[in-house]
Amino acid sequence: MQKPVSIAPLVTFRVTFGAMMLFSIIRFWLNGWITDLYVKPKLYFPYPGFEWIHPAGSTGMHLVFLLMGISALSVMLGCCYRLSITAFSLLFTYVELIDITNYLNHYYFISIVSFLMIWLPANRGFSIDTFIRPALKRTQVPLWTIGIIRLQLGMVYFFAGLAKLNADWLWDAVPMKIWLPAKSHLPIVGPLMYKSWIAYVFSWFGACYDLFIPFFLINKRTRAVAYFFVLGFHIATAVFFPGIGMFPYVMIVSSLIFFSGKFHERLQYALSFGNTSTNVAGGRVYTYHTRAKPLLYSWLFIYFLLQTLLPLRFLLYPGHLFWHEEGYRFSWRVMLMEKSGNSFFYIKESVTGKTYEVNNSEFLTPLQEKMMSTQPDMILYYAHFLAKEYMHRGIQQPSVFVEDYVALNGQRSRLFIDTTADLAKKSWSWKHYDWVMPYKN
Amino acid sequence: MRKHIFLLFLVTIAASTLFFACKKSESSGSEPTGGFDKTGMLTNYADNMIIPGYTSLQQQLLAMETAANSFMDNPGTASQQALGIAFKDAYLGFEKASVCQFAPAETVLLNNFLNTFPSDTAAIEASIQSGGYTLTTQSSMDRQSFPALDYLLFSQHAIQDFSNGNNAARKQYVHDVITRMNTLVTAVLSDWQNNYRAKFVTNTKSDVGSPIGYLINQFAYEMDQLKGPRIGWPFGKQSGGIVFADKCEAYYSGISRSLAIANLTSLKNYYTGVNSGKGMSDYVIALGKQQLNTDILNQFDITLGKLNAIPDPLSASFTNNAGAVNDAYKEIQLLLTLLKTDLASATGVRITYQDSDGD
Repeated sequence: MQKPVSIAPLVTFRVTFGAMMLFSIIRFWLNGWITDLYVKPKLYFPYPGFEWIHPAGSTGMHLVFLLMGISALSVMLGCCYRLSITAFSLLFTYVELIDITNYLNHYYFISIVSFLMIWLPANRGFSIDTFIRPALKRTQVPLWTIGIIRLQLGMVYFFAGLAKLNADWLWDAVPMKIWLPAKSHLPIVGPLMYKSWIAYVFSWFGACYDLFIPFFLINKRTRAVAYFFVLGFHIATAVFFPGIGMFPYVMIVSSLIFFSGKFHERLQYALSFGNTSTNVAGGRVYTYHTRAKPLLYSWLFIYFLLQTLLPLRFLLYPGHLFWHEEGYRFSWRVMLMEKSGNSFFYIKESVTGKTYEVNNSEFLTPLQEKMMSTQPDMILYYAHFLAKEYMHRGIQQPSVFVEDYVALNGQRSRLFIDTTADLAKKSWSWKHYDWVMPYKN
Repeated sequence: MRKHIFLLFLVTIAASTLFFACKKSESSGSEPTGGFDKTGMLTNYADNMIIPGYTSLQQQLLAMETAANSFMDNPGTASQQALGIAFKDAYLGFEKASVCQFAPAETVLLNNFLNTFPSDTAAIEASIQSGGYTLTTQSSMDRQSFPALDYLLFSQHAIQDFSNGNNAARKQYVHDVITRMNTLVTAVLSDWQNNYRAKFVTNTKSDVGSPIGYLINQFAYEMDQLKGPRIGWPFGKQSGGIVFADKCEAYYSGISRSLAIANLTSLKNYYTGVNSGKGMSDYVIALGKQQLNTDILNQFDITLGKLNAIPDPLSASFTNNAGAVNDAYKEIQLLLTLLKTDLASATGVRITYQDSDGD
């Protein structure tokens, strides 16, 4: 792990990561999503423990994205790297923490990878930093600095694969069976989309790919072929599911990190942004401060332990994972289920016996309403919000009830929440929510 | 060992590819290519429903204009009754086209301008008084079109209003409102004919902004409107049972129930494609969801039945026949869930009126 290896893979990773983030931010801005997602909503769903995180208003949010864009650019160029990657990581994570509605696995991936990058000497080659201060230049870094990114990427794939090993995915080929007929417009393969066997091909191929690809990428002999599959797989997902946005491209480019130092040196030479003239043997090795090492290593140990345990925490909960979604997020469960619902909230005033039905669109954007209707923790947060809101409107001791119908993986919709449970009186908890109706197959 | 796993991996891929290739050639034989003709469905919608819908609305508006002019020139019970028929015709025509609030209609905000109710009667009177009004701004949505005409032509004092000597400004306002309606509908119709139809029938995607995505989102949206503004809100569902009878659609002319029924009947027709074999219901069947289709059709009929059972006018039934209204309301809610959740889920359409990334 301490073995000095070429810095080149890390440099490529830094440049491409910065470039892609810059592009993503510009795309996000031009799509008007800053306003749609972080200015327009009247209510935001915070993560437990992060209730103090709030959006910064229209000007503020645009400023945040501007700063984020500048830091992404600086990361790409390797300019004031430590500062810019820290700023990027913090700003990006801040934005993601504002509203659970917008949780995406690939945003989470960007948050944690940018966090890891803070600790890596990715600016010690081909960067403005080394251009200004050539003394900073290093040609080699300890193997683990590249290894942790490979490990992180490998874990994303592997856990995504593990998550697919469930009866719905493998034996019924849902949600693929539901999603593919909606893709019949595609040339050549379009008419096939109605066939159920093609859904099985997609499901099984996807599961195999995710489970095995990290091992084939790490193995020198299979790497080239494996990367060919990376390209094929992610281009296919981009074509079939354009709704997933930048994720396929992020993975295609990030997976290059598995290639050797030599490969990256040649790549950089070919793209003529690296200086390969430095003799590796005569180059300088980046070393961490002796006293920083134990701290850094124990940090990384804890980090990866957490990364291993988080996707498995669902095992602590009873009930159907897709239904209850307890331990669902932060587990690389990507495009795993088709779930939708609609909810009717009722405020009851016990003193007068009056019932007030809530118009969800008064408080939520359509996207928030859609997301909330299928996720118990969001339902609970919204119910608590409503209790407070109706108290302000003069309702005494409001009880909040919900009639929520959810359809999971192509099955018919059914009641999701116990209609007799007063959600105003239920508190947030890490424990299993008994007011969510049990899942019946 | 690694080598073996990799071999296994390659074999799996190769087998799938082979499978894929074989099946492909097979499917070009006896089976119809593709399980469902989406372009056929969309063509049916465009040519047999949407464009004819706007065309007849355009004609109904002209007939209404003529009737309105004769009423205003000779205000009286008879001319008002004649106008009532033409007004109802046009309003029903609008309800039929209401579900198509996307693309050309969404560009000009057709539904918002044609049917924002309740109208702001005080603002309408103020506009008539001052004469300085414009009907193209978004803030003027609640003082024009059907809801404004409903008030101006059918309120208790309507005949009297036009019998007074000093009514030129009022006549002018009615005239401007109707002209605005004609302009909007004509714009949408020509946009469909000259531009959007071609895009509509060839785009067989189901994502945000696609025709199929639009249609299913609009089914859900229209159900939300029926449940909320058309019935639930004036019925007092949001207000702890306090009825706001005058906030219902077409309160003054008293045709609320007919409009709601026309709206829902139109929705059912759009769902079935009027038994052409080229409707959304046929797509649902092609997806192997026969039971869902049967249940949706039944629920449409049950709901229409319950709406029909409410005595006219709806505004009075909110208090006098609350039980009947409540029965209908419950069925509306069930139908809403079937369309917004079950149908959307079965067709892989996202119910969201905005675009964003997903995973």
